[in-house]
Amino acid sequence: MTESKKIEEIKVTGKEKPKVGVYVCHCGINIAGVIDVEKLRDYAKTLPDVVLAKDYSFMCSDIGQNMIKEDLEAGKINRVVVAACSPRMHEPTFRMVCKESGLNQFLFEQANIREHASWVNMKDPEGAYDIAEDHIRMAVAKVRKLKPLDVQKVQVEPKSLVIGAGIAGMNTALDLADAGYKVYLVEKTPTIGGHMAQLDKTFPTMDCSSCILTPRMVDVARNENIEIMTYSEVVDVSGYVGNFDVRIKKKPHYIDQEACTACGACVETCPITVGNEFELGMGTRKAVYIPFPQAVPGQYTIDMDHCIQCGICARPEVCEPDAIRYDDKPEYVDVKVGTIIVATGWDLFDPTSLEQYGYGRYPNVITSFQMERLLSSFGPLVGKPARPSDLKAPHSIAFLQCVGSRYFREDGNSYCSRVCCMYATKQARQYKEKHPEAEVYIFYIDIRAFGKGYEEFYESAQREYGINYIRGRIAEVTEDKDHNIIIRSEDTVMQQPIELKVDLFVLSCGLEPSEDADKITSLLSIQQSSDGFFMEAHPKLRPVDTLTNGIFVAGVSQGPKDIPDTVAQAKGAAAGAIALMAKGEFEIEPYYAVVLEHVCSGCKTCQSLCPFGAIEFDEFKNVARVNPALCKGCGTCVSACPSDALIQNHFSDIQLFSIIDVEREKSTAQN
Amino acid sequence: MSELSKDSQYKWRYGFFLGCVIPNRYPMIERSIRDVFDELGAELLDLPGASCCPAPGVFRAFHIPTWLVLAARNIVIGEELGVSTITGCNGCYGTLRDAWYDLEHNPEEKKKVNEYLAKVGRKYTGKYEPKHIVQGLYLDMGLDYVKDFIKYKFTDLKVGVHYGCHIVKPSDKRPWHGQYENPQFLDELVEITGAKSIPYKDKFMCCGAGGAVRTAVKEVAADFTREKLMNMRDAGVDIIINCCPFCHLQLDLGQVEVNNFYKDIIGEPFKIPVIYITQLLGVAMGMDPNRLGLVKNHELSGVSPFIPIEPFLDIVKEQI
Repeated sequence: MTESKKIEEIKVTGKEKPKVGVYVCHCGINIAGVIDVEKLRDYAKTLPDVVLAKDYSFMCSDIGQNMIKEDLEAGKINRVVVAACSPRMHEPTFRMVCKESGLNQFLFEQANIREHASWVNMKDPEGAYDIAEDHIRMAVAKVRKLKPLDVQKVQVEPKSLVIGAGIAGMNTALDLADAGYKVYLVEKTPTIGGHMAQLDKTFPTMDCSSCILTPRMVDVARNENIEIMTYSEVVDVSGYVGNFDVRIKKKPHYIDQEACTACGACVETCPITVGNEFELGMGTRKAVYIPFPQAVPGQYTIDMDHCIQCGICARPEVCEPDAIRYDDKPEYVDVKVGTIIVATGWDLFDPTSLEQYGYGRYPNVITSFQMERLLSSFGPLVGKPARPSDLKAPHSIAFLQCVGSRYFREDGNSYCSRVCCMYATKQARQYKEKHPEAEVYIFYIDIRAFGKGYEEFYESAQREYGINYIRGRIAEVTEDKDHNIIIRSEDTVMQQPIELKVDLFVLSCGLEPSEDADKITSLLSIQQSSDGFFMEAHPKLRPVDTLTNGIFVAGVSQGPKDIPDTVAQAKGAAAGAIALMAKGEFEIEPYYAVVLEHVCSGCKTCQSLCPFGAIEFDEFKNVARVNPALCKGCGTCVSACPSDALIQNHFSDIQLFSIIDVEREKSTAQN
Repeated sequence: MSELSKDSQYKWRYGFFLGCVIPNRYPMIERSIRDVFDELGAELLDLPGASCCPAPGVFRAFHIPTWLVLAARNIVIGEELGVSTITGCNGCYGTLRDAWYDLEHNPEEKKKVNEYLAKVGRKYTGKYEPKHIVQGLYLDMGLDYVKDFIKYKFTDLKVGVHYGCHIVKPSDKRPWHGQYENPQFLDELVEITGAKSIPYKDKFMCCGAGGAVRTAVKEVAADFTREKLMNMRDAGVDIIINCCPFCHLQLDLGQVEVNNFYKDIIGEPFKIPVIYITQLLGVAMGMDPNRLGLVKNHELSGVSPFIPIEPFLDIVKEQI
């Protein structure tokens, strides 16, 4: 519609007689296939204050919406009930219809007769019909008592917090910064880069991972809109969309990051050697260290869990700039941001609990991530993989897919980790490139080569590289006296049991949510799905939003994905945040609580109970006052108020009791 | 319901489900279980009217509903006494525990079972989980508790531990908290006597008898047993410890059969003493080997044990 028509406002004060219009949706056969919608429509006409009732196959369609619009504009009705799907689906649609027709959008009520009636009672049409009647009766009872409300607008601070500086977080930060917004990029380890820095090559193009990652790291470091906060953690978040108050803890490096010139003299003198987490325990580092040579920022950190404070590195002849600070303390920084993007990434599934695969018991059983480091040209073996027991190049290698994934038992994950088929294929190819004579086997359930160029990559691994793919999940492995691994499996294509001796056995472990995911969930009041990954607001239509306005998710923290998908989602999350900040303001629903000042006795009960700190106290008037922007409408204060001085907008006692009353009347009548 | 009264001399009470193999082939296993449990403060009540469990490999394989009803009837006998049934047999454990688990997860099936049981005046509730004696020792009492009853410790006894199958699998119906691919509980129980559990190849392989294989094709069963015994001998075990009378039979009588069927392959004939877990614990707790059924009158032929236990008793004499 290009023609803009001046809509006349429908004045509703609450004093005039309600004129309710009820619209029953068929939802194709979703509702009408179970429930007699015409009978339901006629029933609605018998309810008090209902002046008209109609039914239509899809109320959400343009035609359906226009039915409501026409009745509103003709002045026939001044309150609307739509009996259809869940309000989470279409409440915004019908509210918009009301608004466009000049009716206050809060004089609308949706009766959910699809999810609550027809879908769950498909085999009991009569029962479903009865429930649908109940829902309509309750919705009409409530809509008669609803009051017009005004939408609240809050300002959106044009700054962003990005949690996690892996490939997802870095890309989000760059997009936000390039759009002109200030970004705080918080990372818990001493460097940005994430897991991608540990990878050798990336499938299917065989790009060197560091070669494509490190320039991005440098871009992030150079961007003046990005403030990198490594070795830092978010410890507190309060506020609401557009106005989050965030407290960040900067862990002590025990080295003055300004003074340190990254000369590395301290490392040479440090007497403490520990396992290197970057090399997954297959290499060592000192107690004073830099995670890897291209780390950003390139400053050193002392690991106080292992440092014995011998003082050697602090000697002036060792640390010339005098940067060592054994008494360094954590620092807390408070920032205010409008949007938050969570990109906390993943941890590798720990296969120790799957004892049939012998990880942790047999030296020549390693994880795929360890294999990645062994293949890496700047890894512990400079790109010449050897097996741990005797450091000889393995002549035969077997990979086992779906370790900890697609596993319907308590000690595994039921989901597919989406990257393992491809990384195993890639690692197998890499090894075959260096050792064409080697025998490489991949044991799989199915090969999932779904991405662009992936099927071709898999195909050439078989044809050109001669990698043996065996369909079968390995039952168990044992080792012989020379630490060779003996595999027992079934070749389910040939339908025969096989026993195979290999030099090295690699477990293609799946991805799990980062160990900090639970902490982030409670800090930000966002949700996790049952697999532990962060839950998106809608799996199809809002894949980067969370159910908390202003907070977005990106990368594997939302679910396993490969690098291209991660980067795409990171851009999506950045776009979501930019849209919010570019507009500069955000409408929030006016469901806050209101204090009746003439009734309030000033007991402050509500103030102590409010979980959001939304209640202020006016000492002069001796009354409580609710800050609408902070109030989440939870209703705790309303039910606790001993004087009934609090009213919750849209859910007032009168409105809720009107629903209860009609149902009570029904059950009394039945008895 | 019979709760243990405060002044009872017992700390635990179970309904002792004997099964078929123990009373018919190895009565000494029953004796050793009763003596050891009594010493440890666990009362074992008789289950009057208990039938065959019925065997999982036979009855369940043919008709699950029949198997369920008969199993439920056996569990009910314990329920009526207010106790969990406890068994020393992996097969009985497999049946009782699987049936209990299945009925707990299938109210419809439970209703059907109760319709049948009503005909004989019984009602199944599922309130008491069926247990294995190793479960009683390891989970109910705990290693630390049992340890205090050990009077004598072996100083050099190499044990090949054989778990059997039904005690660990199916894992979701078992109580071992994730210990099922490489379980340690029986090894730990053995090692509180000072004996050493020796790792050997394919430790968790079947004895060969289960699933009616022994009944149907004895040579195949014996072939399993041969492989198992060769792996144990390669590892240098002195004795075999197990917790199932059917495995016990297969590893004991089975040695005679293996020596017979496979004499060309095995070299030296096998003669590894086979000891049930409570017989080992009983000895370490200072009980009379005669009562534990470890001394056999060799004038009797055709009765268990088939492989002489004397080498074990010689070790016992020297070490404790």
